[in-house]
Amino acid sequence: MTTPQPATPKKVPVPKQAILAKAFHWVNILSLLLMMSSGLQIYNANPVFGGRAGWHFPKGLLLGGWLAGGRDWHFTFMWVYSLNLLAYGLFILITRRWQQRYISSSDVKALRVSQNAKRKTYAWHRLVYTAIIPILLLAIASGLAMYKPAQLPWLASLFGSWQTLRTVHFITVPIVLGFTLIHSLLAFRVGSMRLIRSIFVR
Amino acid sequence: MSIIQPSRPVLTRRRLLQLSGLSGMGLLLGSCDSTSIAERVGAKIDPLNQRVEELLLNPQALVPEFPISAIEPEALLINTFDTTPNLDRASFRLIVDGDVAQPLSLSLAEIESMPLTSMVIRHVCVEGWAAIVQWGGVSLRELVRRAQPKSTVRYAYFESADGYYESWDLASTLHPQTILAYQKNGQQLPVENGAPLRLAAPIKLGYKQSKWVTRVTLLSQLPSKLGYWEDFGYEWFAGL
Repeated sequence: MTTPQPATPKKVPVPKQAILAKAFHWVNILSLLLMMSSGLQIYNANPVFGGRAGWHFPKGLLLGGWLAGGRDWHFTFMWVYSLNLLAYGLFILITRRWQQRYISSSDVKALRVSQNAKRKTYAWHRLVYTAIIPILLLAIASGLAMYKPAQLPWLASLFGSWQTLRTVHFITVPIVLGFTLIHSLLAFRVGSMRLIRSIFVR
Repeated sequence: MSIIQPSRPVLTRRRLLQLSGLSGMGLLLGSCDSTSIAERVGAKIDPLNQRVEELLLNPQALVPEFPISAIEPEALLINTFDTTPNLDRASFRLIVDGDVAQPLSLSLAEIESMPLTSMVIRHVCVEGWAAIVQWGGVSLRELVRRAQPKSTVRYAYFESADGYYESWDLASTLHPQTILAYQKNGQQLPVENGAPLRLAAPIKLGYKQSKWVTRVTLLSQLPSKLGYWEDFGYEWFAGL
């Protein structure tokens, strides 16, 4: 993937991405893959939908071999996933990227009135990648509420019943998967493969 | 930043190869199925997670309880690793021993004459389900106090009539809501839930809460056999 493309004309600039933004994307994707596959292993011990009689995920998607192994992976990579998100949060705060890189009133305006298709696509792109941040945080909050409900009862009670809490934690998985697809497609429409490559490689 | 480029909404060969690379990675991760890898990963993180769990545990603070109306009688599933022992209530004895000045051997009548601790708490199973239950019984704190433990005691070891065994840290054992229960949802504890005596506490996962407890041994050192499920690879502290 790192081979230079002689076909790319020099006049098209390769988007420059901060090394920390690249690191965030790599660590986030890899830790989320491990969190999801080990999470589905835990899910299968007692499916959120239907309990023991409910539908189980196929073995090929699961990590850890059995419940204890799934928990080993899950409660290891929760640190990697959360600290990566925290580091990224500090990064956008300190560099003030949060003021320029996320959905703004001008994007909202573009979505409503702009006739420029490219501008609209760009606004959608910014809207979607901004919207995933609360979902990533929700995965942590709901996970923590289930992990330590006795020591963090205020957090657990925010979600109402235990079944609601489990459901919220679980549905962050399809939401994140759907987001990844839409985010990739929008990034592709905004900046083609050059933009996608820039966030992972150069 | 001019990153807006003309869109090429086609799946290029390069894109296809990259996508297949990604799904190949998923397959590779999915097949890291070996329990031993998971165990090694878990063993690396467990000291850190246990430290965090010990720090989170407030040994004196009561975990908020639920109203009686919140009890979910159907939600509490029965998990047993082997058999369901039927113990004779009349000849039953609870032994409290180990590093103590005053070993105890208590009949059910003696235990039921001790102060009753009743609580409506959430019982959380490692499998992911939970149930709001009322438990009533004698607090471990009261039993331990009567047995007069030596100052070196750090752990409690619980033996059950079905061969199940568990070890707990002392702080969790002495938590005011850690009890040996003989009541469930206002009734005498049913045998499938661990009668005549079972551990109950809001601060530990269900597999720590032994049923049919016959012996509590206070220890200064952790035994080599930590607990039935722990010896298969479950987490030892298992705090909630």
